[in-house]
This record gives sequence, C-alpha cells and structure tokens, in this order.
Amino acid sequence: MKKELLIKEKQAKRTNPLAHVFDDFIDFCQSKSLFMLHYCTGCGAIELPPAMTSRFDMERLGIQPMVTPRQADILLVTGYVSVKTLKRVILTYEQMQAPKYVIGICSCTVNGGMYWQSYATAKKLNDYMPVDVYIAGCMPRPEAVLEGLQRLKENIKNDRKQQKGSAWKEYFANYDTYLGNQQHLFGDDWQTPVDIIAEAKLYGLEGEGTYGKNTEKLAKVQQPLLPQEMKL
Amino acid sequence: MNDLNNKLNDILSRVNGIKITHKRNRRVRVDVPADSLTTLLELIKGQASYVHLSAITCVDWIKDNEFELVYHVWSYEENCLISAHTRIDRDEAKFVSVYDLYKPADFFERDIYEMYGVFFIGSPRMEKFILTEWHGMPPMRKDFDSEAYVQETFNWTEYNPDWLQELTDQGGGIAIKPEDIRLSGCLHNMATHRQRDKLKATQKVGKGWKS
Repeated sequence: MKKELLIKEKQAKRTNPLAHVFDDFIDFCQSKSLFMLHYCTGCGAIELPPAMTSRFDMERLGIQPMVTPRQADILLVTGYVSVKTLKRVILTYEQMQAPKYVIGICSCTVNGGMYWQSYATAKKLNDYMPVDVYIAGCMPRPEAVLEGLQRLKENIKNDRKQQKGSAWKEYFANYDTYLGNQQHLFGDDWQTPVDIIAEAKLYGLEGEGTYGKNTEKLAKVQQPLLPQEMKL
Repeated sequence: MNDLNNKLNDILSRVNGIKITHKRNRRVRVDVPADSLTTLLELIKGQASYVHLSAITCVDWIKDNEFELVYHVWSYEENCLISAHTRIDRDEAKFVSVYDLYKPADFFERDIYEMYGVFFIGSPRMEKFILTEWHGMPPMRKDFDSEAYVQETFNWTEYNPDWLQELTDQGGGIAIKPEDIRLSGCLHNMATHRQRDKLKATQKVGKGWKS
C-alpha cells in the first residue's frame, strides 16, 4: 500500500515543466528500440520475412525480433487465433513485461476474417487482450506492416500527450472485462500463472474495472503459485 | 490387370452382402453391411496384401439418420486402393474398432470420435484429441450450426471508423459490409452481389474505386 501511495504522490507533484523533458526523452528512446515477439500461427507470417530482411528492413525502424516474451516489447499476432492458441497467446502476453504492445495483423485478428463462421477461432482479439494497432488486410503487404509499426512508434512517442500508446494499462484497469471474456471461452476455472491484480497494485494501475464479478469468480478457483521443487 | 481384378473379386465375393464397383483401374469401391466390415478388412489384409490403412472417413447422412464410414486401404504390391463403405445407425453411433488389424486406426478413430461422436469399441484412447477446449456437441455433425454458435459466443468489430467515412465520401470504401453477408445466413449471397452490381451501375464511381 505504501509503495502505491508513493507512486501516486510522485505523479501528482510533477509541476515543473522541465520534468517532462526526461519523460519525453524516455518515450523517444522507447519508441526507437523495440523488440518484437511474433506469434505466427496464421498465414500473415509469410509477409514478415520480407518486412524483416533487407528488402524492407524493419531494423532501420529499430525493431528487432526477440526470442522470449520476457524481453519483448511487442507481441505481433499474425492471423487467426483459434480458441486453443488464444490461451497460449494470453499466457505469452501476461509474461511480457510492461510496457508492452500488441499488434494484430490480418483481418482474422480484427473480425475472424475468412474464418468468421468457424466455431474454433476467436473473432476479436481485443476482447481478450488490449490491442494497440490493427493492420488489416488479407494479408497486409510488408509496406502496410511497416506503416503499422511506424504508427505504433508514433503512439509510443506521444503516449503522455495523447494517451494513445498505453493500451497495456487498460489490461490492468479493465481486467475484469478481459477476464470475463476469457472465462466465457475457457470456462470458469480459467487461471493464468501471472497474478494480474497484484501486478496492477504494484504498478499503481488499478482502476474501477480491475475488480468485479469475474475476478471474484477467479479468486474462488485460484490456486496459489508455489515455487517449483528443485531436483537434481 | 484383369487377372488381378479377378483375383480380388474372388476374395471380395466371399464376404456377405458385398457390392463391388470398379471405379477405375486401381480404384475399387466396396459397399458392405456393418457387421461384415471387419471380415472384409481381415481378408484383404491377410490374403491380398492391403496392409496400409490410409484413412477412415466419416460422412453424416442426417436425412437417412446414418453415419457412413469409409475405410481407405492401399496395397503397395498391386498399387490399388479399396474404399470400403459401410453405414451405421446415427442415434446409436457405435462401431467396432479396427485397431487390432491396423494400428493407425487409433488416430483416425479418435478423430472421428471427436468430430462426429462415433464411439469405437475397443479403440485404445477414446478421448479428446485436438479440440481440448471444446465441450459442446461434436462440431462436424450436420445438426451443429456453426454460424449460430459463433453469433452466440463471439462479439464483432464494427466497421464504421471515421477514416472509412472519408473514403466513402470520395466514392470508395467497403462495397459489401461484413454485417450484410454475415446476417444473411449465407456466405455466397447472390442478392448482395446483385445489389453491389446495381450500385455500381447507378452510382458514379469515384477515382479511388477500381471496378
């Protein structure tokens, strides 16, 4: 509780205009160096190699692929997400460290795309996790992918002015809604190893939407996380 | 080739109630009653070298209230495929496993159990296979309405952002709205296509729209 109060006080006390210079500088740096984890289950993945390699060269925007979610800034979901993979995507997303950004590529992440009729695919990705940028198209060309990444960079740069590049804060602030949608698909006993509510407290990002009916449901079934036994 | 066919016919004709159709040179369709299917498979495996079960297919004949099971069996020596068709009752949806004859039947039967709900007696693992998150009725059955399920379960993104309005004013934009197709209940709805053609004919087409 003390820590949380401290953070809030700090934010409130910032009246010096020069204080924001450093914030802007940090945002600028953040937008110039992004590591990207790509979750390539759909066909949109085929447009990424040209976007990454020498033809379109994503690296000149400061974006590089990363192998693990814990060190990645961007989660790139390419193409359709089936209910089964959605579970894994959520697990991956929750493992990432904030600030984290999600990009949905292809029409499938927007609205199910050509699989809109299928019982097996999730339709709207931002029902289950906050999405920063959607790049529509079936599939989007590498130019479009780069355009989307540029937009994300601008959003991050202007985050404090326009409140655009901070969709990840919504996940903490409206956790109850997201959890409700997840429970709707995966059943009421759904839980992830990451304690989002505790994280929200730690970051000082709790909102009114953090708690609700669904989190109460979660609290009933949630099993505490125990350290794994070390064995040789 | 004819010798081979004659030989095969001799073997097949030992099975009760069998109907043999030679589709092509190396494709034989065989219709058998459900209770003599295992006899047939045992015969063609043991005496005619049909050792490879390439697939088991299931067809849902909802009007006849029957499931059709098709066993595709291949012979490497004669390079010939036999498709053994058999029909079982849809309500009961039970059949005997051929796992002891063909080991790969394990996967095919499990898949059919998951997708159609046909239980195979004697199959080693009659449990969830791919759809581990699925708790409803078997989704490949004809009476499962996938579209209704989707409408019930998922939300849709709305397609009317501001920037699209700008494009529409210029004469471009989306020709058929996704909602129109989705709610009409038919993917290839000719009415909407006709509507679009009419629109194209009557309205002046802007620069951004290539027809």
